[in-house]
Amino acid sequence: MAQPQMPAATNWRFDVDFERIAWLTIDTPSSPVNTLSRIAITELETIILRVEDLIASGEVVGLVIQSGKDSGFIAGADVSEFDAMSDPAILPEALKRAHAVLDRIEKLKAPVVAAIHGFALGGGLELALACAYRIAVNDDKTRVGFPEVNLGIFPGFGGTGRSIRQAGPVAAMQMMLTGRMLKAGAARGMGLVDKLVRHRDMLHWEARKAVQQHRHSTPAPLIQRAMAWGPIRQQIVTRMRAETSKKAPKSHYPAPHALIDLFEAHGDDWRAMVEHEADGFVPLMATDAARNLRRVFFISESLKKQGLRGAEKPVFRRVHVIGAGVMGGDIAAWCALRGLGVTLQDLDMERIQPALDRAKKLFKKRLKGRTEVASAVARLEADPTGKGVARADVIIEAVVENLEIKKKILAEVENKARPDAIIATNTSSIALEKIAEGMRDTSRLIGLHFFNPVAQLPLVEVIRSGYNVDADVAKGASFALAIGKSPVLVKSAPGFLVNRVLMPYILAAVERVDKGENKELLDAAAVAFGMPMGPIELLDTVGLDVGASVAKELGHSVPDISKFAALLRDKKLGRKSGEGFYKWVDGKAQKGPVPENSDLAGLGRQLVKPLVDMTETVVGEGVVASADLADIGVILGTGFAPFLGGPMQARKEGKA
Amino acid sequence: MATLRKIAIVGSARIPFCRSYSGYTSETNLSMLAAAIGGLAEAYNLRGKAVDEVMGGAVISHSRDFNLAREAALDAGLSPRTPGTSLQIACGTSLQAALSLGAKIASGEIDSAIACGTDTVSDSPIVFGSKFQHRLSDLNRARTPKDKLGAFSGFSFGELTPVAPSTQEPRTGLSMGEHCELMAKQWGISRQEQDELALKSHLNAAKAYDDGFHDDLVVPFAGVLRDNNVRADTSIEKMATMKPAFDRSSGKGTLTAANSTPLTDGAAAVLLASEDWAKASGLPVLAYLSYGQVAANDFAHGDGLLMAPTQAVSRMLQRAGLTLQDFDLYEIHEAFAAQVLSTLKAWEDAEYCKNVLGRDAAMGAIDRAKLNPKGSSLAYGHPFAATGARILGLAAKQLATEMKNRALISVCTAGGQGVTAILERAA
Repeated sequence: MAQPQMPAATNWRFDVDFERIAWLTIDTPSSPVNTLSRIAITELETIILRVEDLIASGEVVGLVIQSGKDSGFIAGADVSEFDAMSDPAILPEALKRAHAVLDRIEKLKAPVVAAIHGFALGGGLELALACAYRIAVNDDKTRVGFPEVNLGIFPGFGGTGRSIRQAGPVAAMQMMLTGRMLKAGAARGMGLVDKLVRHRDMLHWEARKAVQQHRHSTPAPLIQRAMAWGPIRQQIVTRMRAETSKKAPKSHYPAPHALIDLFEAHGDDWRAMVEHEADGFVPLMATDAARNLRRVFFISESLKKQGLRGAEKPVFRRVHVIGAGVMGGDIAAWCALRGLGVTLQDLDMERIQPALDRAKKLFKKRLKGRTEVASAVARLEADPTGKGVARADVIIEAVVENLEIKKKILAEVENKARPDAIIATNTSSIALEKIAEGMRDTSRLIGLHFFNPVAQLPLVEVIRSGYNVDADVAKGASFALAIGKSPVLVKSAPGFLVNRVLMPYILAAVERVDKGENKELLDAAAVAFGMPMGPIELLDTVGLDVGASVAKELGHSVPDISKFAALLRDKKLGRKSGEGFYKWVDGKAQKGPVPENSDLAGLGRQLVKPLVDMTETVVGEGVVASADLADIGVILGTGFAPFLGGPMQARKEGKA
Repeated sequence: MATLRKIAIVGSARIPFCRSYSGYTSETNLSMLAAAIGGLAEAYNLRGKAVDEVMGGAVISHSRDFNLAREAALDAGLSPRTPGTSLQIACGTSLQAALSLGAKIASGEIDSAIACGTDTVSDSPIVFGSKFQHRLSDLNRARTPKDKLGAFSGFSFGELTPVAPSTQEPRTGLSMGEHCELMAKQWGISRQEQDELALKSHLNAAKAYDDGFHDDLVVPFAGVLRDNNVRADTSIEKMATMKPAFDRSSGKGTLTAANSTPLTDGAAAVLLASEDWAKASGLPVLAYLSYGQVAANDFAHGDGLLMAPTQAVSRMLQRAGLTLQDFDLYEIHEAFAAQVLSTLKAWEDAEYCKNVLGRDAAMGAIDRAKLNPKGSSLAYGHPFAATGARILGLAAKQLATEMKNRALISVCTAGGQGVTAILERAA
């Protein structure tokens, strides 16, 4: 049948079928994911104007908004436009236009349905929330959420008010404050989605039915909405502020606090919240934190490109880990958690069992059902005889830091392993080239340096020895990505990146304590600067013995008369032994009061200086390829203030 | 009439088999079968492509699993232009599907096909009894309040007792295990022999895993990477401690949980094709499916319930002009150790071969080293409809990779039937 005349659009396709249902399909040109760019919104504006006419004339009876891409619905606004958009001279106008389009969609005089598969995030979810009814595919790929806080902002296309309308104030605010992404079932449970279908094929038909039946989503029940009324809201606001400050202090991360302010002012009226959204949003976009977080976002995204892609992208199914100590055991557990088959080798079951027990604890914590836990347990096999080597896609050696033992083990591994298998060492202190010397093909060995605790730290340093070629480390990066870790390529040099920059920072702080400074004050100062924990607590956490051996490897000395040396002699190794610089109870450092200090952050900056200096040196030596990679590596490996954009960025901006 | 074409077996894929109520508690026949076909599609580059026909099914299925084969083909990402047919002949389902599809390939009707099967006991349909079910249909048809009320006259709460699917033979009321126990007694199969066969099955299967033989046959599913019934660490001593599972009272029962297959969830699929299609698609030919035979016996009047394969094999060998000894590989489905042993004994028995198979002499013994060398259902488990496809894929790969020339496949089924086939090595 004849299609109604439509204005040309590059981001959207528009079809009206013979039942007069209009199908609006977003398909962002030359991109694997859909984004709501400025052009896409301008085009949407024109299309909706036309749809209004078609509805008025009876040519269209309902509108379905869907995606033409396999990757999902819409990943959000186009972050690459944010730097330009943050200009307060143009941002309010652009926001006003986007709000106006979404308002028009909401007011269309015919049923409007969002048909969601895959990602519906940020602006994408906001568009969906402006529709009268939302349907999503109930599979593992569906993700719904507002990741804006991770970029130093909050939802800006009316998502603040509309999510509260649908999910109620408590659930919606929690989702926006944490940036957490929801699976289909949870989104349905919260009321962000109205209906789930089993398969993507069914989206079309369910949407058609929803249009024909004039389905309309219902807002959150009164009992939930009541949480935003009067004194209850004030109580909730107080609690949210306290919770948020713990993880994201206002001075570092203004966005969640600004969102709470908005909620405090208008939480009981979703329309007013939408209306005043821009007041808080516009200043946030221009903050240093937002700018730096965007940069961190782009660098993180670029890490994904370090692996092999397309037809070359390897599939990893089986991992063999040698050494069931803390690192080996936890690497094995992590790989099994992520769905790989793992064989864990050590001399005997006695050495392997504790790692299996720890793994089970991790599975129970991270996986929901008993079946899932049992399957994960089955994926991790004890392998005292090393039969897993021959079938493994990846072999990781994580035995004691002893060159001769490592050389011997890896030479044997090389004989048994498949020719295409990755052979890696998790060494943190021995030069790769020395270990590789025992192998026939010295180019086969790469480093995969994980951080303790493996389940929490996202960084894996992929170490390149002098013998490696690009493809060797690219394959290693592919593996890190496959297990959900972020790879940063680093040349084999003592301490690599993270340990090397941390050591002078920790040792300088230890020296200050020796000279009589208060350790609680030093730790508090580092946190005030933006570190996740202070240097003394960090040393206690990684273990004084580990710290001492890394220090030695890097050529730092621990003077015999120091407190550090004394604690080592007394086997007070930190958290794991119950006492180091601090006493530890139930995994928590027992800290005394922090003395008064008028410039905590300034002191923190002094403490961090050696770390930043060393990062500059490491970049200068070419151990990491760029300042960007150094920044992301140090952020992911140490938790260094993301809002400052990493040590190199902070230094560039005169903040460290 | 045109000459018949060769039927190529290109490859197979299956998901790991799990003991029921373990790894796949939240899965369905549809999700499992789609995963098996999806694994095949991934390995042989069939995503988005049309296969000429998909055929297969499940023994225990929900009414919602209306044309499972078609729905699974769609879910697996094959082209929507792939026709799907569901069929069922108990444990012989996917092998029967392969024979039917093979005939279509041979005759030139189709060029490519997927034979498949799935079963789960963890997600079995539980329905109301027929009395309450009829009330519900009456209620549905009733138009007036009076009629509606009438639909419930004489109702008792006992009608609400749900009915689970049963593995009993409808005609005899005996379970499969009880029937097999009778066969064991009739053929004098000892407990010791059965346990030894079961042990061999587990050890062979465990070795096949360690050798990586399954690496390109089994696709991970729902976080499960390998069959969870295979036990490398079992022993005759452990098996000897098991109590009889079916004849618990006479003291003469020999079938135990260790020498019988457990209830199992799983799915498997095999890609069949004409030689030309395989060549044009750049795909390998592992083996040819050269003969097939289905037979049934009079189990309600004396024949052993699971003895029909003896007849199918006998007839198939006569057609092929082969003797029972002309094979390098015997893949005989182990529903129960006693079933395999009774079958072998019957072939060695001149009397049986004469009276039942109509032969002049006994078919003879086989070389036991060639029997199920990678283990079979006692180790892997037995998701009824999936077993035929599992065996077909396993046998084809053995022919292709181990320089074996000819394989005999035999699967016994409920209802006194048997489905059998012969595979020949390609090139």
